[in-house]
Amino acid sequence: MVHSGVVSLQGVTKSFGSLTAVDDIDLTIDGGSYCCLLGPSGCGKTTILRMIAGHETPTSGEIQISGVSVLGQTPVQRGTAMMFQSYALFPHLTVLDNVAFRLKMQGMAKRERRAKAHETLEKVQLNHLAERMPAQLSGGQQQRVALARAVITNPQVLLLDEPLSALDEFLRLQMRGELRRMQRELGITFIHVTHTQLEAIAVADLVVVMDDGHIVQASAPEDVYARPTSAYVARFMGGQNVLRGVVQSVVGPTVTLRSDQGQIFEVDSAQISAAAGDIVHLSIRRDHTELEKSDAVPTQPNHVVGKVIAIEYQGTYVKVTLDAPDNREFVSHVPDDKYLAQRVDVGDQVVVSWRAADVHILADDHRKSESGPDLELAS
Amino acid sequence: MHKHQKRPWTFYVLATLFTLFVIFLYGPMISIFILSFQGPTGGLVFPLTDPGFHWFGALFGQARTGDVGGAFGRTLPLALAVMVATVVISVAAGLAFRRRFFGSSVLFYTALASLIMPGLVLSIGILVAFQFLGLPTRWYSSAFGAHLSWTLPFGLLIMFAVLSRLDPAYEEAAYDLGATRWQTLTQVVVPIVLPGIIAVSLFGFTLSYDEFPRSWLTTGPQNTLPIEIYTMTTTVTSPALYALGTVTTIISFLAIGLALGSIGYIQHRRRNKKSF
Repeated sequence: MVHSGVVSLQGVTKSFGSLTAVDDIDLTIDGGSYCCLLGPSGCGKTTILRMIAGHETPTSGEIQISGVSVLGQTPVQRGTAMMFQSYALFPHLTVLDNVAFRLKMQGMAKRERRAKAHETLEKVQLNHLAERMPAQLSGGQQQRVALARAVITNPQVLLLDEPLSALDEFLRLQMRGELRRMQRELGITFIHVTHTQLEAIAVADLVVVMDDGHIVQASAPEDVYARPTSAYVARFMGGQNVLRGVVQSVVGPTVTLRSDQGQIFEVDSAQISAAAGDIVHLSIRRDHTELEKSDAVPTQPNHVVGKVIAIEYQGTYVKVTLDAPDNREFVSHVPDDKYLAQRVDVGDQVVVSWRAADVHILADDHRKSESGPDLELAS
Repeated sequence: MHKHQKRPWTFYVLATLFTLFVIFLYGPMISIFILSFQGPTGGLVFPLTDPGFHWFGALFGQARTGDVGGAFGRTLPLALAVMVATVVISVAAGLAFRRRFFGSSVLFYTALASLIMPGLVLSIGILVAFQFLGLPTRWYSSAFGAHLSWTLPFGLLIMFAVLSRLDPAYEEAAYDLGATRWQTLTQVVVPIVLPGIIAVSLFGFTLSYDEFPRSWLTTGPQNTLPIEIYTMTTTVTSPALYALGTVTTIISFLAIGLALGSIGYIQHRRRNKKSF
């Protein structure tokens, strides 16, 4: 018996003419969980959502909901409901009639469907606006009406296409909390498409990071953020510095790497089974670094030196950006009290160092030395 | 900007031009309106003597003013039928043209071509074609088609503009909420584009109601109102002609007022419906 609301995609491909928007994707989303599809625009995340919703048909592959194939079914038969990016509230109907629309299509009597719509509007605290027209509501209120309209018949799966993108910053934070609360209350599967990293990790149980029609990582938010498996995910999620080196030696518990610029990095061998000559990508969290103003080049490994090119005060920490020698920016987050004790200025020469234990290996980008020429991944 | 700045001389030139334009536009209409209240002994020109409703009465009496009542009784149903046909065809075509299909742009330009064709030429063409086919020309057949060739391009252009601005998400939302295609059309698409449909109706009605060139050779033995009025200018020499002009203009204004009023009401309702 498959748990109700489980969404599973098997080998799903969608092509538009010669363009492949979604390329052979396998994904299982647990019933009653909150899943975020995350990626830059054009990565295929909305196409996946629309295929689950029944607004697009896969070119090939299988989509199941609660263990049943839903290909060829209407959204109502699938038990899905979609919340559109523009909300698509019908401008000629009152809030109440918008929410009751699905019941009207089912042929429910007017009195009965209006009572049910009032009940649903109560859940989003908008019952007092039931007789308003959509154009009279604020963005946040329209979004809650769209939510109420989508959930009125208790769908198994709610699909949300960039639900917060039309709202201002303050409302966005408020509404994402409300979406999460609603999801827990209803206990149904939410699939939420977004291009905002912090939004995804704030609400989701499962974050699916996509790039160019492929899933690059699907895991819990803390894993996607702190333990990315590839340089792409590390850079896309932010909060990480990505470095690259060639394995020089493996001695006891220490793997020694050398970057193209001659910097030496040491990594704990427990994380990686590498041999000399392998190309390894690694990431270091911005907040797991030590910044020091110094003109001297230290002799110990695990550091970069460079000139400060930008300083941004962020409240609890200060974001210091340096031009690392490989022309990629390297960012260090310095706690505010520490920064105030030892200020740096733009143009200062600094050394940023880290502990070997804080280095994370980007396993998907590990290239064995015999695997031929290194493929530089797109950033 | 200085508050008491002197107006440039161009202001006075343009103001004069505009005043002349307004006089030219409304002067004749107002003169005819006033002269239609001419007394029974008055003539076709000013002064107005013993004003009253005499000539309005004469319009519908059995005087020698021509068959105004009969012509109106043909023009009104014709204009209404043209209006309905224009709306139905324009909306259907507008929906079809939202998706590009093979030959869609050729079809589009073909439909617009009749805008460029002189109305009298088209009238002759239809007459010739009907005679060739051995069909009699009638106001409800040949004139109906001739009027559609004039109203449809306008209707199509309006509906294309309106429907291209319609967010496809509305139809997807309706499908998502379990609406059938017919329910989506009648309960979502048509109500949302209703102001556009009213605009198309207005064009369909008024363009047919006062159409002369395309009616000229196509109405057959029984005239429509514009043809009847034209005929009267050559035979009738009484202010009844002015009374007729006033009555038909009032009907046109009523149609426009009704259309604009209902569009305004719909938009007002969508913005400002009172809450409890």
